Amino acid sequence: MAHVLIADDDADIRDLVAFKLTQSGHQVTAVEDGMAALRAARENTVDLALLDIRMPGMSGLDVCRELRAMAQTATLPVIMITARSQEADVEVGFAAGADDYIIKPFSPRELSSRVTAVLNRVER
Amino acid sequence: MISAGLVRGALLGLLAVVLALSLLIVANRFVRRHRERRRERIAAPVRGSLLELLCAEGDEQTELLNRLAEIDRRTWAALEPTLTTLLGKVAGGARAALVRLYELRGAAVDAVTELSSRSAARRGRAAQVLGQLSHRPAAPSLCRLLADRDPEVRLAATRALGRCGGPEAVPYLLESLYGPRAVPPAAVIRALVSLGPQAQRSVAAGLEHPQPLARAVAIEVLGATGVVSHTSEIARALREDPQIEVRVKAARALGRLCMPEGLEPLLAAVRPGRPVALRMVGAGALGTLGAVAATGPLAELLGDPDRHVAATAARALLQLGPEGRAELHAAADDRSRGPAAAQARAVLAESAVGAARHDVRAEVAL
Repeated sequence: MAHVLIADDDADIRDLVAFKLTQSGHQVTAVEDGMAALRAARENTVDLALLDIRMPGMSGLDVCRELRAMAQTATLPVIMITARSQEADVEVGFAAGADDYIIKPFSPRELSSRVTAVLNRVER
Repeated sequence: MISAGLVRGALLGLLAVVLALSLLIVANRFVRRHRERRRERIAAPVRGSLLELLCAEGDEQTELLNRLAEIDRRTWAALEPTLTTLLGKVAGGARAALVRLYELRGAAVDAVTELSSRSAARRGRAAQVLGQLSHRPAAPSLCRLLADRDPEVRLAATRALGRCGGPEAVPYLLESLYGPRAVPPAAVIRALVSLGPQAQRSVAAGLEHPQPLARAVAIEVLGATGVVSHTSEIARALREDPQIEVRVKAARALGRLCMPEGLEPLLAAVRPGRPVALRMVGAGALGTLGAVAATGPLAELLGDPDRHVAATAARALLQLGPEGRAELHAAADDRSRGPAAAQARAVLAESAVGAARHDVRAEVAL
């Protein structure tokens, strides 16, 4: 069981992702903006972060860069969530230090598999 | 002279208007928030079942579907905005489950009825739902909605037709580009592209449309979808169309189609004396086309009196690979060529910086 941090300003997507990951046996902390995500990452022991790229205020990319800059979260696996129309963000996401990305629309099953795959990669 | 009383009265009046407007804004926000909270409260008891449905499999899904399909009208109305949002954001089994839920609920039929609602928000949402459900029978009603009095509804209908329309929607989409209730060309182009190969013939018929914007849009769609079978018609448009905007679109499309028939008309389009916009796009298209035969003519354009044409030609040469690059190096080393040498050196330097930046990005990603 891993502790997954979800940051997405879209409540429907946030709830869906949280539901699926809880169902898969993970502990979930869900927040709605970048600042709250950084706070949660500092205050909790998080094993993976799922960040929506486009969030008002601090974007997922900014959060990812900040996480990489902090010693405590420098190696935290990060998966970015982006819309199909913003696929150009993927390259920027990798440059910001993301480990993987998921494109909306996505299947909850695929999302769960991606999370498991990234967690397995880190464990090895 | 204006009396002090009049000034005071005017100021007080202005203050009253500002206050009234502020109150109106605050009240509007309050009502909206109140409605949203009420909706969330009504939908809350079934929201868990909905999330469960989206993550469920097999028999479990059937049971949840039946349960959700039987919820009362009030709860369904409160849940529907969430369903509509999620329909566009989930894929695979989750999306299939949502579509099935709409079917069981008869929501597609309701949405078709809602297209005639007096409320623009309802008409727009109904169009969105029908598009998300790819409900083909709604296409004729959506075509009528392209002339709706509300611009947002027209846009929603255009997007929906891109998802559920067929070839028969093409003439309506092209007509929607005109008049006081016109739809933005970018939305029409996206919808036509989304219709896919089944609509190609109808889109190609748009090349003969009497209105230049419709011809330009048809050409752009054919170029974007790679319909090579219409290359000769597009080449003819580049040579003969009386409107410059159509010829520019034709030049760009010929570059994208990458067919040999595109070479001659493009070389003709970049000759001196043609409109600058056409020459620029034509030069860029020659680079996209990737024909080595264009290397010489593009190298000649490096010294063009119009620096935009010259710069585009230089970038196009880069796209042509080793042959184009060799021409650029030759031009850069030949000091007697003046502006042409400067253009070549600039684009080679730009390319070197770009490559270095790409290397850094790759290193960071690794």
